[in-house]
Amino acid sequence: MKVSLNWLKDFVDINVSLDELCQKLVSAGFEVEEVIEQGKNFRNVVLGKLEKVVKHPDADKLKICSVNVGKDEFVQIVTGASNIAEGDIVPVALDNSLLPTGQVIKKGKLRGVESNGMLCSGEELMLTEADYKGASVYGILIMNGETAPLGTDITQVLGLDDVILDIGVTANRSDCNSVLGIAREVSTVLGVPLKMPNFEYQVASGGDSEVNVDVVASDLCPRYMAQVVKDITITSSAPIIQKRLKAVGLRPINNIVDVTNYVLIEIGQPMHAFDLSHLEGKKIVVRRAENGEKITALDGNEYTLDDSILAICDQNKPVAVAGIMGGEYSGINDSTRDIVFESAKFLRDNIRRSSRKLNLRSDSSFRYERGIDFESQSMGLRRALSLISQYGYGKIVGDTIDKKSVNLEEKTIKVPTSKINAILGIEVPEQTMVDILNSLQIKTTLDNGVLTCVQPFFRDDIENANDLAEEIIRLYGYDHINCTLMDGAHQTSGGKTQTQINVDKLKEIAVSQGMNEILTYSFTSPKSFDTLRLAQDSPLRNAVKLLNPLGEDVSVMRTTLVYSMMSTLAKNCLKSNKSARLFEIAHVYEPNQDISVQPKETTMLALGMYGGGCDYYTIKGVVEIILRAFGIKAELVRSSLPYMHSGRSADIMVGSHKLGYLGEVHPSVADDLDVKERMYVAEIDVDLLDKIANLGYKFTEIAKYPPVERDIAVVLDEDKMAADIIKCIKKAGGNMLVDCSIFDIYRNKDAIGENKKSVAINLVFRLADRTLTEDEVNAKIDKILKKLDIELGATLR
Amino acid sequence: MKERIDLLIEGAKQAINACESVVDVNNVKVKFLGKNGELTALLKGMKDVPAEQRPEIGKLVNVARDTIEGLIASKQADLASKELEDKMQRESVDITLDSGVCQRGSLHPTTLVQNQIIDIFTGLGFSIAQGPEIELDFFNFQALNIPKDHPARDMQDTFYISDDMLLRTHTSPVQVRTMTSQKPPIRIICPGKVYRPDDDATHSPMFQQIEGLVVDKNITLCDLKGILEKFAQQLFDSNTKTRLRPSYFPFTEPSVEVDVTCSVCHGKGCRICKGTGWIEILGAGIVNPKVLDNCGIDSKEYSGFAFGLGIERIAMIKYGIPDMRILFDNDVRFLKEFK
Repeated sequence: MKVSLNWLKDFVDINVSLDELCQKLVSAGFEVEEVIEQGKNFRNVVLGKLEKVVKHPDADKLKICSVNVGKDEFVQIVTGASNIAEGDIVPVALDNSLLPTGQVIKKGKLRGVESNGMLCSGEELMLTEADYKGASVYGILIMNGETAPLGTDITQVLGLDDVILDIGVTANRSDCNSVLGIAREVSTVLGVPLKMPNFEYQVASGGDSEVNVDVVASDLCPRYMAQVVKDITITSSAPIIQKRLKAVGLRPINNIVDVTNYVLIEIGQPMHAFDLSHLEGKKIVVRRAENGEKITALDGNEYTLDDSILAICDQNKPVAVAGIMGGEYSGINDSTRDIVFESAKFLRDNIRRSSRKLNLRSDSSFRYERGIDFESQSMGLRRALSLISQYGYGKIVGDTIDKKSVNLEEKTIKVPTSKINAILGIEVPEQTMVDILNSLQIKTTLDNGVLTCVQPFFRDDIENANDLAEEIIRLYGYDHINCTLMDGAHQTSGGKTQTQINVDKLKEIAVSQGMNEILTYSFTSPKSFDTLRLAQDSPLRNAVKLLNPLGEDVSVMRTTLVYSMMSTLAKNCLKSNKSARLFEIAHVYEPNQDISVQPKETTMLALGMYGGGCDYYTIKGVVEIILRAFGIKAELVRSSLPYMHSGRSADIMVGSHKLGYLGEVHPSVADDLDVKERMYVAEIDVDLLDKIANLGYKFTEIAKYPPVERDIAVVLDEDKMAADIIKCIKKAGGNMLVDCSIFDIYRNKDAIGENKKSVAINLVFRLADRTLTEDEVNAKIDKILKKLDIELGATLR
Repeated sequence: MKERIDLLIEGAKQAINACESVVDVNNVKVKFLGKNGELTALLKGMKDVPAEQRPEIGKLVNVARDTIEGLIASKQADLASKELEDKMQRESVDITLDSGVCQRGSLHPTTLVQNQIIDIFTGLGFSIAQGPEIELDFFNFQALNIPKDHPARDMQDTFYISDDMLLRTHTSPVQVRTMTSQKPPIRIICPGKVYRPDDDATHSPMFQQIEGLVVDKNITLCDLKGILEKFAQQLFDSNTKTRLRPSYFPFTEPSVEVDVTCSVCHGKGCRICKGTGWIEILGAGIVNPKVLDNCGIDSKEYSGFAFGLGIERIAMIKYGIPDMRILFDNDVRFLKEFK
């Protein structure tokens, strides 16, 4: 909310400095977001008259002006402008002056002739045509109509003597979206009386209202006031009205529209003026629009209405979208003679919905959406009429129409002072409470420790003890609040959940493996599914869609973390980072078949790496450490994921559950992402990990008898996998075999044949109750070799 | 005889002193104590000693053996330790050479901040509560005293999935879910991702919040200030002061913004705090009794406070990160700064 300080001073005497005022507003809950001192960027620019203009002796395009800058003081200024003549009134930047462009003007010589300043153009003063007529003309700004004495500071001439405060008004304080509302707060914080605006006006005798108002949809329009004004001459409004509207960022239009806008800003009541001659049947009907009914609004666009939208209509058609915007046809134009002022209360929620539905917003809809109180209609209308009277803009005719479907009753709240103190945790003196509430126009009396408060109509946000406590403390001062540590509360144990502990553990493992945590958006592009080469019927394509995404690239919720991981790796590659090892833990989202049920959210871990000598086994190693840390035994089987390298990727299976997958990214996917390096990724279902984790520890007795170690080497087909070899050996080895591991793989076409490999395996045998004999171990090894031969076609090398 | 023994000891002493290696000492040992050594030879001469002197001379010979053996053992120990020392010298390595061991990775700066905040509050008896990111309008807004079409909805622009489903705009729905399923005393913090359609240097469409909630008997605004001041002192430094300013949130009443003294200039005024000496870090307030009642908690019996802060914002303040988008850029050079 932009507020002019001069306007504010109409209603409250400000007896403190600007800084202090701002500070007090902030501590009362009104953030001052910006303070704009209008004339601040001007210095030494005055109104001057060109008494004499002669040609420069040495330059064709230059002129030497003798400028009267008041008190018969003449300065000589050389100019290159061509649009000036003797007698013109112009803005003059004197020696050592400052222009709002930041330019500093100093005296100097132009082609040998002394020049003590500069004549200014509208552009140099940063004025637009709306600020001053002629400001956009190329050349010096001619101000011949000005009557101010020569030498007057230009900021005064232009009316730039105001200070504009941009005040943040919170959503609960709709009563403060007006100069008067802010003035009421200022009067409270400064402890000075509030002066009300002038509401007086004269009604012309003998006239009839002529217009008929019918509020059909009274549920959406609890109050509708109207007043006819006749014999109007449409002209520009009074300078002070124009100046104030401009100061708060509104464009002056004509005297009638300006009055409605002036009241909107000053009182906070949106007003509208209809051209009476354009209201068919001289009727105003407030009704729901018919489906498909059309209106061209003042913004020149045509809108199609429906029966959820409230319309102001004449006998036949809508003439305004209630509370949002008037129609073009019934608007005020230069030939308007007679008008009807509207001052109404429309339902907050309905205006908000309609405004969003039509995608049409205005200063008026903004205020209706926040809520307009019940007294504003009358105040707004009376204020508008008083301005009409004051400036003689027209003849106020007939009775004021006031259609009210609700009679508001005063609401009283009773609260013990002890309750207020219990909320705040301090003792506020009772009389202080009473004084503060009364200063806010919340009529309050104190009886035996109980406050009885009457809710003003403009403060329907005040409903209970907490609301009163807030009013009291924001004016009593938050610096009275002490620091206590819940002395009256129960002790609680607190702590992390097991899930949180597991996530922390996962992150710690990843970090210890040299991986850096990343943070990427939960939304992704539907195109990412194509990059991942997902089949058209892949469940991963079934993503939750946003109705209002910030862009196509971020329009669906991700169903996998892997694309974010790959793009992050790619981004790092592009930045010439030689290697990266990254991880992320985040949710993926799976829509429910029943769209009214929340999607399933699963926590996933993604790992990703490239460069630095990493390969398939590097990422497998990290996954193995994780599995071990969570006590999980998993099996790796070849993966058929479309975005993974078919020969270098594996699904991580725990029983029949797929815990995740790992491996190298499919070369075509890497290519699509412009990555020349081999990328390795893994994804693990953290929720499943959480569920199947085996985190218990149990003591096993340390073996007493010595182990017997043997190494064997067997030759078998290249496609036989390590896990199968180990499994086969363990099956044959039984209890006696306590450990077996592959320590070497040897390939040599000539020595062992094509597509063959020699695998060297270390075997450790031991019994718990006695020392093994040589024969026992040899027999076991024979059994193992036989089994390897039968199951895998392996022969001893 | 006695003189010969003394001479022998003296000779052995000199020989042992002259030894430079374990081998030398062994040679000396053989020379003096061996089967054909000098002491043995001496013993052989005992038969020429008169019988009455034999016990005494025998004793002297034994003393001589012990002495020489002692000297040899001590010399052997000296030499062994010297040789070990030499060996270690020969084995010396460049103790400054890079280990080549896998470097430690890093947690994201927002995780560092989140972990620190969680540690502070779990230490104060708070538990962690979490909930879905895709929420129902009821939990995100309506239960929090923000009905449909309420102007307060403008405070939090929202990504919608459908009329009734949305991406949560704050972690407050977790508070609602906790209050509707659990009886007081409640003391929770709710960390998590939240979403609002903003994207600039200080806003991201996805960011992380931590909210806190206490519901119990006799909870006051002073308790809120006390807990948050303790929190700020642990998060920044022990001299940090807090300041409350009135504000508005539909789910708290009274509502406040909480400022802390700038951790960079300690309140003197600098670029970070825009010269004010204060930095706004969180929003808070006394839980609106309407919200308690909405969640089935008797507002006549219980009261509470709630607060919420943006983790990215705190990380930016703590680590001096000028633009929020850097946090989502995931450049390893940036990430490695937080090892």
